[in-house]
Order: sequence, then C-alpha cells, then structure tokens
Amino acid sequence: MSTRKIVIIALLVGLGLVLHLVENMLPLSFIIPGAKLGLANIANLLGLILFGFIAGLQILLLRIFLGSILAGTFMTINFYLSLSGGILGYLIMSMFFYYFRNKFSIIGVSLGGAVFHNVGQIVTAYLIISNDAIFYYLPYLILLALPTGVGIGLVAIFTYNYLPRGLKRIDI
Amino acid sequence: MEKITRYLTVYDKILIIVIIVISLIMIAYPFISAYFSNNEEQNSFIYIKDSSKEVKRIPFSETYQEEPMIIKVEGPLGTSIIEAHNGRVRLKEAPEEDPAKICEKTGWISKPGPSIICVPNKVSIWIEQTNSDLDAVSW
Repeated sequence: MSTRKIVIIALLVGLGLVLHLVENMLPLSFIIPGAKLGLANIANLLGLILFGFIAGLQILLLRIFLGSILAGTFMTINFYLSLSGGILGYLIMSMFFYYFRNKFSIIGVSLGGAVFHNVGQIVTAYLIISNDAIFYYLPYLILLALPTGVGIGLVAIFTYNYLPRGLKRIDI
Repeated sequence: MEKITRYLTVYDKILIIVIIVISLIMIAYPFISAYFSNNEEQNSFIYIKDSSKEVKRIPFSETYQEEPMIIKVEGPLGTSIIEAHNGRVRLKEAPEEDPAKICEKTGWISKPGPSIICVPNKVSIWIEQTNSDLDAVSW
C-alpha cells in the first residue's frame, strides 16, 4: 500500500466521518422515523471506485466505529443498525460494481446499496426486538431510499469527475 | 432532470422501476391479506401456571359455553378453583389456608395486562393475545 493510497483512504474516512455527523443533525426523521440520507456512503462508494473492495470496506468500518464513538452511540442499537446495514449495503454495492459493471452505472450501484442498507437494518432490528410487524415498515424505507440512493450516486459521479486524472483507475 | 437521465443506463431505469413495484406490492400486501381473511378467529389464550411450573394454555373460544369451565389446580396449600366463562377468567376459590386471598379478590380478568397471582399457592393466571389492541404491556 503506497503512502498516497493511505493518505487518500484517511481523507475519505475523514470525509465519511464529517458526513456521518452532519447527517445525524439533519432532522429527516419527521417523514419516516429512522430514515436517513446515507450521505456517509459517498465516502465508501468513492473508496470502492478508486481503490477497490478492501479499501472501501476499510473506510466503511473505520467510519462506523469512529463515527459512533464520536456521536456517543458506540455499542448501542444505533451502532448495530448502521453496522449491519452498512456491511450488507456495501456487499451489494461491490457485487453490482464488480459483476454488473457493464450494465449499471454508479447510480445503479448506489441504489442497490441504499435499498439493501435498509434491508440489513430492518433484519437486525427484527433480531433485536423480535416483532415481525417491523417488516411492514420496510417498503416505506425502500421507497425513500430511491431518491437518496440516486442522489448519492450522482454526488459520487460528480466528485469522481473532479478528482485528478492520476487517481482514476477506470472511467465511469 | 435531463442531466440525471444522461447518467442513467437502461438497467438503472429497470432497477428503479422494479424497486418501486416491489415496495408498492409490499405496502399493499397487508391491506389485501387483511381484506381476504376474516378476522373472526379468536387469538386469545388463558395461561395457567401452577407450583410445578407447568403451564396450561386454554383458548378463549372454549369458554363460550352454557356452563362455566372449572379448572382445579393443586398447590402447596391446597386446591385453587379457577373459573373461565364467556371470555373472562377468575380465581373462584382459594384454599382455606391462604391468609390474604388476594387472588380471589382480583376478580375477573378478560384482557391481556392484569394477571391473577396467588403467591402462597404458587398459581398464576394471565391472558395473551396474538393481535392485541394494546401496543405493549409491561409489568
């Protein structure tokens, strides 16, 4: 791992942390309780595009652990929800990215991640509260994940286009 | 808007439509299934736990009869007589040696929440409903 790569991954972790904390301040929950923009996923999506699966996973895990410590939610239900949703969403995103690269754009990749982020969260919430009525809640979250997923994908594309040419491995 | 569609591939649009359709089906599903199933079935059960930690489960639908249903439970002090009739249950007679007879004074219960508990005779009776009109019950 080159120094350049370490520095850029660290910058992306920092970016994800700031977005994670800013997102906690946005009162989006009045539309659907528990709904979030998922802004922090910009960082691991960019990490996935720039450096591949491992780097994106590092950014995701570091962001969730540090972000929950900074926000004071470490080892609470919030933390488990964002960890499970984040990991499942990231796995689906990398699957879309590596296997259906020629079919889906980055918007499709981000959309798959956003939808499965919610699926992972709801499954974990079901395991914690063990009440299957919570699955009725899933379609509303998925519908809301649609605009946010497309938005995150667009942001990732715009950011990628602004990066210096030396960083880009692939064209998107 | 046309700037967004410039970035979308055909498969992206298919994915968006599939997601919308699936979530709309999932939203509609509980309403449709509630419409087709008749909610006449009784989902309430009486639970009776005796001193040997054995739990008896009686469906409420069995209590709608002419004669009240009498259940006798043996405890360390004697026999407690439980009566269930028309969707209600009570502890009819506590054993003579029971000093306070709180369980007898509790009277009839018909909803999940209150429970009849006889500490000296180690008998407890409570009601559980699968679709209750209460959100949650805490003791």
